[in-house]
Amino acid sequence: MDIAFVIINAITVAAIYGLIAIAVSITWSSLGLVNLAYGFIFSFAGYAAWLVATQVSKDPFLIAGAGILAGAVAGIIICLLVFIPLHDKPAFTSRGMIATLAISLIGSQVFLMVFGPTSKSLPDIFGRGKVKFFDITLTAEKIGIVVCSITMLIVAVTWMRSSRRGLEIRAMMMNPHAASIVGIGIRRTGLYVMALTGAMAGLASVLLSQTYYIAPFSGLTPLIKGVSIALCGGLGSVQGAVIAAILLGLVEALTNKFAGGQFVLMTQFLVIILVLMIRPRGISGLVDKAREQ
Amino acid sequence: MTEVLKIEGLSAGYGPLRVIHDLDLVIHPGERVGIVGLNGHGKTTLFYAIAGLTGWQRGSILLNGRQIGRTRSQGAGRYTHQIVRQGLAIMPQGDEIFHGLTVEEHLDSGAFTPEAWRTRKARKERVLDIFEPLRKLMKTPVGRLSGGERRMVSIGRGLMTDAKLYLSDEPSLGLAPKLGIAVMEALLAIDLKDSAMFIAEQNVALLEGKVDRIIGMHAGKLKGEASSSFRLSGSH
Repeated sequence: MDIAFVIINAITVAAIYGLIAIAVSITWSSLGLVNLAYGFIFSFAGYAAWLVATQVSKDPFLIAGAGILAGAVAGIIICLLVFIPLHDKPAFTSRGMIATLAISLIGSQVFLMVFGPTSKSLPDIFGRGKVKFFDITLTAEKIGIVVCSITMLIVAVTWMRSSRRGLEIRAMMMNPHAASIVGIGIRRTGLYVMALTGAMAGLASVLLSQTYYIAPFSGLTPLIKGVSIALCGGLGSVQGAVIAAILLGLVEALTNKFAGGQFVLMTQFLVIILVLMIRPRGISGLVDKAREQ
Repeated sequence: MTEVLKIEGLSAGYGPLRVIHDLDLVIHPGERVGIVGLNGHGKTTLFYAIAGLTGWQRGSILLNGRQIGRTRSQGAGRYTHQIVRQGLAIMPQGDEIFHGLTVEEHLDSGAFTPEAWRTRKARKERVLDIFEPLRKLMKTPVGRLSGGERRMVSIGRGLMTDAKLYLSDEPSLGLAPKLGIAVMEALLAIDLKDSAMFIAEQNVALLEGKVDRIIGMHAGKLKGEASSSFRLSGSH
Protein backbone atom coordinates (compact mmCIF):
# COMPACT_ATOMS: atom_id res chain seq x y z
CA MET A 1 0.00 0.00 0.00
CA ASP A 2 2.63 2.48 -1.07
CA ILE A 3 0.22 5.06 -2.43
CA ALA A 4 -1.84 5.08 0.75
CA PHE A 5 1.32 5.51 2.80
CA VAL A 6 2.38 8.45 0.64
CA ILE A 7 -1.03 10.06 0.96
CA ILE A 8 -1.09 9.67 4.74
CA ASN A 9 2.36 11.21 5.02
CA ALA A 10 1.26 14.03 2.73
CA ILE A 11 -1.80 14.80 4.85
CA THR A 12 0.22 14.77 8.08
CA VAL A 13 2.80 17.17 6.69
CA ALA A 14 0.06 19.32 5.12
CA ALA A 15 -1.77 19.60 8.43
CA ILE A 16 1.27 21.05 10.19
CA TYR A 17 2.46 23.40 7.48
CA GLY A 18 -1.11 24.38 6.71
CA LEU A 19 -1.51 25.75 10.23
CA ILE A 20 1.53 27.98 9.83
CA ALA A 21 0.50 29.02 6.33
CA ILE A 22 -2.92 30.07 7.55
CA ALA A 23 -1.33 32.00 10.40
CA VAL A 24 1.00 33.79 7.94
CA SER A 25 -1.92 34.47 5.64
CA ILE A 26 -4.22 35.91 8.32
CA THR A 27 -1.43 38.12 9.70
CA TRP A 28 -0.57 39.49 6.29
CA SER A 29 -4.08 40.24 5.18
CA SER A 30 -5.33 41.79 8.42
CA LEU A 31 -2.25 43.62 9.66
CA GLY A 32 -0.28 44.04 6.44
CA LEU A 33 2.63 42.40 8.24
CA VAL A 34 4.71 39.65 6.68
CA ASN A 35 5.67 38.03 9.94
CA LEU A 36 9.07 36.41 9.49
CA ALA A 37 9.30 35.78 13.23
CA TYR A 38 7.33 32.52 13.04
CA GLY A 39 10.67 30.80 13.33
CA PHE A 40 11.05 32.48 16.73
CA ILE A 41 7.46 31.69 17.78
CA PHE A 42 8.04 28.10 16.70
CA SER A 43 11.18 27.59 18.78
CA PHE A 44 9.72 29.58 21.69
CA ALA A 45 6.66 27.33 21.83
CA GLY A 46 8.78 24.22 21.34
CA TYR A 47 11.12 25.06 24.22
CA ALA A 48 8.18 26.01 26.45
CA ALA A 49 6.57 22.62 25.76
CA TRP A 50 9.91 20.91 26.40
CA LEU A 51 10.38 22.74 29.70
CA VAL A 52 6.91 21.69 30.82
CA ALA A 53 7.56 18.11 29.73
CA THR A 54 10.87 17.86 31.62
CA GLN A 55 10.11 20.01 34.67
CA VAL A 56 6.38 19.78 35.33
CA SER A 57 4.61 16.77 33.93
CA LYS A 58 4.41 14.56 30.88
CA ASP A 59 0.67 15.02 30.57
CA PRO A 60 0.01 15.40 26.80
CA PHE A 61 -2.67 18.05 27.27
CA LEU A 62 -0.38 20.09 29.48
CA ILE A 63 2.46 19.87 26.93
CA ALA A 64 0.27 20.83 23.99
CA GLY A 65 -1.39 23.56 26.05
CA ALA A 66 1.99 24.98 27.04
CA GLY A 67 3.01 25.09 23.37
CA ILE A 68 -0.18 26.86 22.32
CA LEU A 69 -0.02 29.32 25.20
CA ALA A 70 3.67 30.06 24.62
CA GLY A 71 2.93 30.61 20.92
CA ALA A 72 0.22 33.13 21.78
CA VAL A 73 2.57 34.90 24.20
CA ALA A 74 5.31 35.02 21.56
CA GLY A 75 2.79 36.46 19.10
CA ILE A 76 1.84 39.18 21.57
CA ILE A 77 5.53 39.96 22.18
CA ILE A 78 6.05 40.45 18.44
CA CYS A 79 2.93 42.58 18.22
CA LEU A 80 4.19 44.83 21.03
CA LEU A 81 7.73 45.04 19.64
CA VAL A 82 6.95 45.42 15.93
CA PHE A 83 3.35 46.05 15.00
CA ILE A 84 2.33 48.69 17.55
CA PRO A 85 5.39 50.95 17.24
CA LEU A 86 5.73 50.62 13.45
CA HIS A 87 2.27 50.14 11.94
CA ASP A 88 1.55 53.78 11.07
CA LYS A 89 5.06 54.67 9.97
CA PRO A 90 5.99 54.95 6.28
CA ALA A 91 7.05 51.75 4.49
CA PHE A 92 5.61 49.55 7.22
CA THR A 93 5.63 46.43 5.03
CA SER A 94 9.39 46.36 4.55
CA ARG A 95 10.16 47.68 8.03
CA GLY A 96 7.90 45.07 9.58
CA MET A 97 9.56 42.31 7.59
CA ILE A 98 13.04 43.43 8.66
CA ALA A 99 12.01 43.88 12.29
CA THR A 100 10.35 40.45 12.55
CA LEU A 101 13.32 38.82 10.82
CA ALA A 102 15.59 40.54 13.35
CA ILE A 103 13.52 39.16 16.23
CA SER A 104 13.72 35.71 14.70
CA LEU A 105 17.52 35.89 14.40
CA ILE A 106 18.04 37.39 17.87
CA GLY A 107 15.64 34.84 19.32
CA SER A 108 17.56 31.95 17.76
CA GLN A 109 20.83 33.22 19.23
CA VAL A 110 19.27 33.62 22.65
CA PHE A 111 17.91 30.06 22.49
CA LEU A 112 21.37 28.89 21.46
CA MET A 113 22.90 30.64 24.48
CA VAL A 114 20.28 29.46 26.96
CA PHE A 115 19.56 25.93 25.82
CA GLY A 116 22.75 25.09 23.94
CA PRO A 117 23.09 23.57 20.49
CA THR A 118 21.84 20.11 21.46
CA SER A 119 18.43 19.26 20.08
CA LYS A 120 15.64 18.47 22.51
CA SER A 121 12.85 16.05 21.88
CA LEU A 122 9.35 15.96 23.27
CA PRO A 123 7.79 12.78 24.64
CA ASP A 124 5.20 11.09 22.41
CA ILE A 125 2.05 12.93 23.31
CA PHE A 126 -0.18 10.67 21.25
CA GLY A 127 1.28 7.39 22.50
CA ARG A 128 2.56 4.59 20.29
CA GLY A 129 -0.73 2.97 19.37
CA LYS A 130 -1.50 1.67 15.89
CA VAL A 131 -4.73 1.19 14.03
CA LYS A 132 -5.17 -1.25 11.17
CA PHE A 133 -7.48 0.15 8.57
CA PHE A 134 -7.87 -2.39 5.76
CA ASP A 135 -4.27 -2.85 4.66
CA ILE A 136 -3.04 0.49 5.95
CA THR A 137 -1.36 0.93 9.32
CA LEU A 138 -2.14 4.28 10.91
CA THR A 139 0.04 5.32 13.82
CA ALA A 140 -1.56 7.23 16.69
CA GLU A 141 0.93 10.01 16.11
CA LYS A 142 -0.27 10.69 12.57
CA ILE A 143 -3.94 10.52 13.48
CA GLY A 144 -3.27 12.82 16.43
CA ILE A 145 -1.43 15.38 14.31
CA VAL A 146 -4.18 15.56 11.72
CA VAL A 147 -7.01 15.64 14.27
CA CYS A 148 -5.30 18.31 16.36
CA SER A 149 -4.57 20.62 13.43
CA ILE A 150 -8.03 20.25 11.98
CA THR A 151 -9.59 20.93 15.38
CA MET A 152 -7.43 24.01 15.84
CA LEU A 153 -8.32 25.20 12.36
CA ILE A 154 -12.04 24.67 12.91
CA VAL A 155 -11.89 26.47 16.25
CA ALA A 156 -10.00 29.39 14.72
CA VAL A 157 -12.27 29.68 11.69
CA THR A 158 -15.46 29.34 13.76
CA TRP A 159 -14.22 32.00 16.14
CA MET A 160 -13.45 34.30 13.22
CA ARG A 161 -16.85 33.69 11.66
CA SER A 162 -19.06 33.97 14.70
CA SER A 163 -17.48 36.17 17.35
CA ARG A 164 -17.40 39.91 17.44
CA ARG A 165 -13.59 40.06 17.55
CA GLY A 166 -13.55 37.74 14.55
CA LEU A 167 -15.85 40.12 12.71
CA GLU A 168 -13.43 42.94 13.51
CA ILE A 169 -10.48 40.90 12.24
CA ARG A 170 -12.27 39.97 9.02
CA ALA A 171 -13.30 43.59 8.51
CA MET A 172 -9.69 44.62 8.89
CA MET A 173 -8.59 41.91 6.43
CA MET A 174 -10.89 43.33 3.79
CA ASN A 175 -10.47 47.06 4.26
CA PRO A 176 -8.22 48.41 7.03
CA HIS A 177 -9.10 52.01 6.20
CA ALA A 178 -12.84 51.43 6.51
CA ALA A 179 -12.25 49.38 9.65
CA SER A 180 -10.97 52.41 11.53
CA ILE A 181 -13.95 54.38 10.23
CA VAL A 182 -16.36 51.94 11.86
CA GLY A 183 -14.52 52.24 15.16
CA ILE A 184 -12.28 49.17 15.07
CA GLY A 185 -9.03 49.84 16.92
CA ILE A 186 -6.15 48.68 14.73
CA ARG A 187 -3.67 48.14 17.54
CA ARG A 188 -6.04 46.16 19.76
CA THR A 189 -7.18 43.99 16.87
CA GLY A 190 -3.49 43.48 16.07
CA LEU A 191 -3.02 41.92 19.51
CA TYR A 192 -5.90 39.48 18.95
CA VAL A 193 -4.59 38.51 15.51
CA MET A 194 -1.05 37.95 16.72
CA ALA A 195 -2.20 35.94 19.74
CA LEU A 196 -4.42 33.74 17.57
CA THR A 197 -1.83 33.14 14.86
CA GLY A 198 0.88 32.66 17.48
CA ALA A 199 -1.24 29.97 19.14
CA MET A 200 -1.65 28.23 15.79
CA ALA A 201 2.11 28.28 15.22
CA GLY A 202 2.63 27.06 18.79
CA LEU A 203 0.44 24.03 18.19
CA ALA A 204 2.19 23.37 14.88
CA SER A 205 5.49 23.44 16.73
CA VAL A 206 4.39 20.84 19.27
CA LEU A 207 2.99 18.65 16.50
CA LEU A 208 6.08 18.88 14.33
CA SER A 209 8.37 18.01 17.23
CA GLN A 210 6.65 14.63 17.35
CA THR A 211 8.68 13.86 14.22
CA TYR A 212 11.58 16.32 14.36
CA TYR A 213 13.57 17.86 17.20
CA ILE A 214 13.46 21.21 18.94
CA ALA A 215 16.61 23.21 18.26
CA PRO A 216 17.48 26.92 18.24
CA PHE A 217 17.10 27.07 14.45
CA SER A 218 14.38 24.46 14.02
CA GLY A 219 11.79 27.13 13.19
CA LEU A 220 13.47 28.10 9.94
CA THR A 221 12.14 25.33 7.68
CA PRO A 222 8.55 25.61 8.94
CA LEU A 223 8.76 29.38 8.43
CA ILE A 224 9.95 29.02 4.83
CA LYS A 225 7.32 26.40 4.08
CA GLY A 226 4.58 28.32 5.84
CA VAL A 227 5.30 31.55 3.96
CA SER A 228 5.60 29.81 0.60
CA ILE A 229 2.40 27.80 1.11
CA ALA A 230 0.59 31.00 2.10
CA LEU A 231 1.88 32.70 -1.08
CA CYS A 232 0.94 29.72 -3.21
CA GLY A 233 -2.56 29.58 -1.74
CA GLY A 234 -3.12 33.29 -2.11
CA LEU A 235 -2.48 35.58 0.86
CA GLY A 236 -5.58 36.22 2.91
CA SER A 237 -7.49 33.09 2.00
CA VAL A 238 -7.96 30.19 4.41
CA GLN A 239 -9.32 27.82 1.75
CA GLY A 240 -6.43 28.65 -0.57
CA ALA A 241 -3.91 27.90 2.16
CA VAL A 242 -5.57 24.54 2.89
CA ILE A 243 -5.50 23.54 -0.79
CA ALA A 244 -1.90 24.68 -1.18
CA ALA A 245 -0.87 22.83 1.98
CA ILE A 246 -2.37 19.58 0.69
CA LEU A 247 -0.78 20.08 -2.72
CA LEU A 248 2.66 20.79 -1.30
CA GLY A 249 2.33 18.06 1.31
CA LEU A 250 1.66 15.64 -1.51
CA VAL A 251 4.69 16.92 -3.40
CA GLU A 252 6.84 16.51 -0.28
CA ALA A 253 5.65 12.97 0.39
CA LEU A 254 6.03 11.92 -3.26
CA THR A 255 9.52 13.43 -3.48
CA ASN A 256 10.52 11.69 -0.25
CA LYS A 257 9.28 8.43 -1.67
CA PHE A 258 10.66 8.52 -5.21
CA ALA A 259 13.67 10.86 -5.12
CA GLY A 260 14.84 11.34 -1.57
CA GLY A 261 14.50 13.95 1.17
CA GLN A 262 17.24 16.23 -0.17
CA PHE A 263 15.10 17.11 -3.20
CA VAL A 264 12.00 18.15 -1.23
CA LEU A 265 12.63 21.91 -1.19
CA MET A 266 13.54 21.88 -4.90
CA THR A 267 10.37 20.16 -6.06
CA GLN A 268 8.22 22.19 -3.69
CA PHE A 269 9.52 25.49 -4.97
CA LEU A 270 9.20 24.29 -8.56
CA VAL A 271 5.53 23.58 -7.93
CA ILE A 272 5.08 26.96 -6.22
CA ILE A 273 6.71 28.75 -9.16
CA LEU A 274 4.47 26.85 -11.56
CA VAL A 275 1.32 27.74 -9.62
CA LEU A 276 2.30 31.39 -9.38
CA MET A 277 3.06 31.50 -13.12
CA ILE A 278 -0.45 30.33 -13.88
CA ARG A 279 -2.21 32.20 -11.07
CA PRO A 280 -0.05 35.13 -9.91
CA ARG A 281 -2.32 35.76 -6.93
CA GLY A 282 -2.24 32.17 -5.79
CA ILE A 283 -4.81 29.40 -5.85
CA SER A 284 -7.46 31.16 -3.80
CA GLY A 285 -8.77 33.16 -6.74
CA LEU A 286 -10.50 29.94 -7.80
CA VAL A 287 -12.60 29.65 -4.67
CA ASP A 288 -12.90 33.10 -3.14
CA LYS A 289 -15.23 34.88 -5.51
CA ALA A 290 -15.97 38.06 -3.62
CA ARG A 291 -12.33 38.68 -2.91
CA GLU A 292 -11.19 40.83 -5.81
CA GLN A 293 -14.36 42.84 -6.26
CA MET B 1 -26.24 73.70 24.68
CA THR B 2 -22.77 72.82 23.44
CA GLU B 3 -22.17 72.83 19.74
CA VAL B 4 -22.03 69.41 18.14
CA LEU B 5 -19.02 70.48 16.13
CA LYS B 6 -16.81 73.51 16.58
CA ILE B 7 -13.79 73.90 14.35
CA GLU B 8 -11.30 76.72 14.82
CA GLY B 9 -8.25 77.49 12.70
CA LEU B 10 -8.13 74.07 11.07
CA SER B 11 -5.48 73.42 8.44
CA ALA B 12 -4.92 69.99 7.02
CA GLY B 13 -3.32 68.21 4.10
CA TYR B 14 -1.10 65.45 2.87
CA GLY B 15 2.68 65.75 2.85
CA PRO B 16 3.68 69.06 1.31
CA LEU B 17 0.13 69.64 0.09
CA ARG B 18 -2.10 71.92 2.14
CA VAL B 19 -5.74 71.30 1.28
CA ILE B 20 -7.60 73.12 4.07
CA HIS B 21 -6.62 76.66 5.06
CA ASP B 22 -7.49 78.09 8.51
CA LEU B 23 -11.08 76.96 8.49
CA ASP B 24 -13.70 77.85 11.14
CA LEU B 25 -17.06 76.11 11.36
CA VAL B 26 -19.82 75.58 13.92
CA ILE B 27 -22.65 73.04 13.74
CA HIS B 28 -25.45 73.15 16.32
CA PRO B 29 -27.54 70.27 17.70
CA GLY B 30 -30.42 69.25 15.45
CA GLU B 31 -28.96 70.93 12.40
CA ARG B 32 -28.65 69.50 8.92
CA VAL B 33 -25.85 71.25 7.12
CA GLY B 34 -24.92 70.80 3.48
CA ILE B 35 -21.50 71.59 2.11
CA VAL B 36 -21.14 72.09 -1.62
CA GLY B 37 -18.12 72.65 -3.80
CA LEU B 38 -16.22 71.29 -6.76
CA ASN B 39 -14.03 68.23 -6.78
CA GLY B 40 -10.62 68.80 -5.21
CA HIS B 41 -11.61 71.79 -3.09
CA GLY B 42 -11.40 70.00 0.23
CA LYS B 43 -14.84 68.64 1.20
CA THR B 44 -13.64 65.09 1.72
CA THR B 45 -10.41 66.32 3.32
CA LEU B 46 -12.48 68.34 5.80
CA PHE B 47 -14.37 65.15 6.73
CA TYR B 48 -11.11 63.23 6.96
CA ALA B 49 -9.62 65.94 9.18
CA ILE B 50 -12.58 65.63 11.57
CA ALA B 51 -11.97 61.85 11.65
CA GLY B 52 -8.19 62.23 12.02
CA LEU B 53 -7.49 60.55 8.70
CA THR B 54 -5.49 63.25 6.92
CA GLY B 55 -1.73 63.09 6.53
CA TRP B 56 -1.21 66.04 8.88
CA GLN B 57 -3.40 68.64 10.55
CA ARG B 58 -3.46 71.40 13.13
CA GLY B 59 -6.15 73.48 14.76
CA SER B 60 -8.97 72.87 17.20
CA ILE B 61 -11.87 70.50 16.57
CA LEU B 62 -14.43 70.12 19.37
CA LEU B 63 -16.90 67.26 19.03
CA ASN B 64 -19.66 67.82 21.55
CA GLY B 65 -17.29 69.96 23.59
CA ARG B 66 -14.43 67.45 23.59
CA GLN B 67 -11.19 68.13 21.78
CA ILE B 68 -10.60 65.66 18.95
CA GLY B 69 -8.26 67.79 16.85
CA ARG B 70 -4.58 67.20 17.28
CA THR B 71 -1.58 68.90 15.83
CA ARG B 72 0.21 66.06 14.17
CA SER B 73 2.42 65.47 11.18
CA GLN B 74 1.90 61.75 10.68
CA GLY B 75 -0.02 58.76 11.93
CA ALA B 76 -3.14 59.10 9.77
CA GLY B 77 -5.98 57.08 11.27
CA ARG B 78 -4.16 56.31 14.50
CA TYR B 79 -6.90 57.85 16.64
CA THR B 80 -9.81 57.48 14.24
CA HIS B 81 -11.48 54.64 16.11
CA GLN B 82 -11.38 56.64 19.36
CA ILE B 83 -12.89 59.68 17.66
CA VAL B 84 -15.57 57.48 16.12
CA ARG B 85 -16.34 56.06 19.54
CA GLN B 86 -16.93 59.57 20.88
CA GLY B 87 -19.95 59.87 18.62
CA LEU B 88 -18.94 60.30 15.03
CA ALA B 89 -20.68 58.29 12.30
CA ILE B 90 -18.84 58.41 8.99
CA MET B 91 -20.56 57.40 5.78
CA PRO B 92 -17.61 57.62 3.43
CA GLN B 93 -17.51 58.57 -0.21
CA GLY B 94 -17.89 55.82 -2.75
CA ASP B 95 -17.84 52.25 -1.53
CA GLU B 96 -15.49 52.14 1.39
CA ILE B 97 -16.91 48.78 2.26
CA PHE B 98 -15.96 45.25 3.35
CA HIS B 99 -16.75 43.36 0.15
CA GLY B 100 -16.59 39.84 1.60
CA LEU B 101 -18.84 40.48 4.61
CA THR B 102 -22.56 39.91 4.24
CA VAL B 103 -24.96 42.82 4.56
CA GLU B 104 -25.89 41.63 8.03
CA GLU B 105 -22.28 41.34 9.22
CA HIS B 106 -21.63 44.71 7.72
CA LEU B 107 -24.41 46.30 9.72
CA ASP B 108 -23.17 44.45 12.83
CA SER B 109 -19.73 45.94 12.35
CA GLY B 110 -21.29 49.38 12.68
CA ALA B 111 -22.61 48.56 16.15
CA PHE B 112 -19.30 48.95 17.92
CA THR B 113 -20.38 50.36 21.28
CA PRO B 114 -21.31 47.71 23.89
CA GLU B 115 -24.80 49.16 24.15
CA ALA B 116 -25.34 49.15 20.38
CA TRP B 117 -23.97 45.59 20.15
CA ARG B 118 -26.51 44.30 22.68
CA THR B 119 -29.41 45.97 20.88
CA ARG B 120 -28.13 45.28 17.38
CA LYS B 121 -31.19 43.27 16.34
CA ALA B 122 -33.58 46.16 16.97
CA ARG B 123 -31.14 48.56 15.35
CA LYS B 124 -30.90 46.42 12.23
CA GLU B 125 -34.69 46.37 12.03
CA ARG B 126 -34.69 50.15 12.19
CA VAL B 127 -32.18 50.39 9.35
CA LEU B 128 -34.17 47.87 7.30
CA ASP B 129 -37.31 49.97 7.79
CA ILE B 130 -35.48 52.85 6.15
CA PHE B 131 -33.80 50.77 3.43
CA GLU B 132 -36.46 48.17 2.66
CA PRO B 133 -34.59 46.61 -0.35
CA LEU B 134 -31.81 45.36 1.95
CA ARG B 135 -34.18 43.07 3.84
CA LYS B 136 -33.88 40.15 1.42
CA LEU B 137 -30.15 40.72 0.84
CA MET B 138 -29.03 40.24 4.45
CA LYS B 139 -27.01 37.06 3.70
CA THR B 140 -25.46 38.34 0.45
CA PRO B 141 -21.82 39.45 0.40
CA VAL B 142 -21.66 43.20 -0.04
CA GLY B 143 -19.27 42.71 -2.98
CA ARG B 144 -22.14 41.37 -5.09
CA LEU B 145 -24.53 44.26 -4.52
CA SER B 146 -25.27 47.08 -6.94
CA GLY B 147 -23.95 50.58 -6.36
CA GLY B 148 -27.21 51.83 -4.89
CA GLU B 149 -27.54 48.89 -2.53
CA ARG B 150 -23.96 49.35 -1.37
CA ARG B 151 -24.64 52.98 -0.62
CA MET B 152 -27.66 51.94 1.46
CA VAL B 153 -25.48 49.49 3.39
CA SER B 154 -22.86 52.16 3.93
CA ILE B 155 -25.40 54.67 5.25
CA GLY B 156 -27.26 52.01 7.22
CA ARG B 157 -24.01 50.99 8.91
CA GLY B 158 -23.51 54.60 10.02
CA LEU B 159 -26.97 54.52 11.60
CA MET B 160 -26.25 51.46 13.75
CA THR B 161 -24.90 53.53 16.65
CA ASP B 162 -26.20 56.72 18.22
CA ALA B 163 -23.80 59.29 16.88
CA LYS B 164 -23.56 62.95 17.79
CA LEU B 165 -22.50 63.88 14.30
CA TYR B 166 -23.25 62.08 11.05
CA LEU B 167 -20.81 62.81 8.24
CA SER B 168 -22.14 61.80 4.84
CA ASP B 169 -19.76 62.27 1.95
CA GLU B 170 -21.53 62.58 -1.41
CA PRO B 171 -24.35 60.11 -0.74
CA SER B 172 -25.65 60.41 -4.31
CA LEU B 173 -22.27 60.04 -6.05
CA GLY B 174 -22.31 57.56 -8.92
CA LEU B 175 -25.95 56.64 -8.51
CA ALA B 176 -28.72 56.97 -11.09
CA PRO B 177 -30.59 60.27 -10.50
CA LYS B 178 -33.74 58.57 -9.26
CA LEU B 179 -31.78 56.39 -6.85
CA GLY B 180 -29.69 59.34 -5.71
CA ILE B 181 -32.84 61.24 -4.79
CA ALA B 182 -34.24 58.23 -2.91
CA VAL B 183 -31.01 57.72 -0.92
CA MET B 184 -30.83 61.43 -0.11
CA GLU B 185 -34.46 61.49 1.01
CA ALA B 186 -33.93 58.51 3.31
CA LEU B 187 -30.85 60.20 4.73
CA LEU B 188 -32.62 63.50 5.37
CA ALA B 189 -35.64 61.77 6.92
CA ILE B 190 -33.55 60.36 9.78
CA ASP B 191 -34.66 61.62 13.17
CA LEU B 192 -31.65 63.56 14.50
CA LYS B 193 -32.90 64.48 18.02
CA ASP B 194 -29.98 66.51 19.40
CA SER B 195 -27.35 65.19 17.02
CA ALA B 196 -26.43 66.83 13.72
CA MET B 197 -25.83 65.85 10.13
CA PHE B 198 -23.19 67.19 7.80
CA ILE B 199 -23.59 66.28 4.12
CA ALA B 200 -21.13 66.95 1.34
CA GLU B 201 -22.74 67.09 -2.09
CA GLN B 202 -21.97 68.39 -5.55
CA ASN B 203 -25.55 68.40 -6.73
CA VAL B 204 -26.97 71.47 -4.99
CA ALA B 205 -30.44 70.72 -6.34
CA LEU B 206 -30.62 67.62 -4.12
CA LEU B 207 -30.07 69.68 -0.98
CA GLU B 208 -31.93 72.90 -1.63
CA GLY B 209 -34.82 73.54 0.70
CA LYS B 210 -34.14 70.33 2.62
CA VAL B 211 -31.24 71.27 4.87
CA ASP B 212 -30.97 74.07 7.43
CA ARG B 213 -27.87 75.63 5.93
CA ILE B 214 -25.75 75.25 2.84
CA ILE B 215 -22.08 76.21 2.98
CA GLY B 216 -19.90 76.62 -0.07
CA MET B 217 -16.34 75.37 -0.13
CA HIS B 218 -13.70 76.70 -2.46
CA ALA B 219 -9.95 76.16 -2.49
CA GLY B 220 -9.86 74.84 1.05
CA LYS B 221 -11.88 77.67 2.57
CA LEU B 222 -15.56 78.14 3.35
CA LYS B 223 -17.15 80.65 0.97
CA GLY B 224 -20.66 81.92 1.46
CA GLU B 225 -23.53 80.51 3.42
CA ALA B 226 -27.23 80.25 2.66
CA SER B 227 -30.15 79.46 4.93
CA SER B 228 -32.95 76.98 4.31
CA SER B 229 -34.96 79.52 2.23
CA PHE B 230 -32.20 79.22 -0.34
CA ARG B 231 -33.32 78.48 -3.90
CA LEU B 232 -31.19 77.94 -6.94
CA SER B 233 -31.66 80.93 -9.21
CA GLY B 234 -33.75 79.98 -12.19
CA SER B 235 -35.07 76.75 -10.71
CA HIS B 236 -38.38 78.40 -9.87
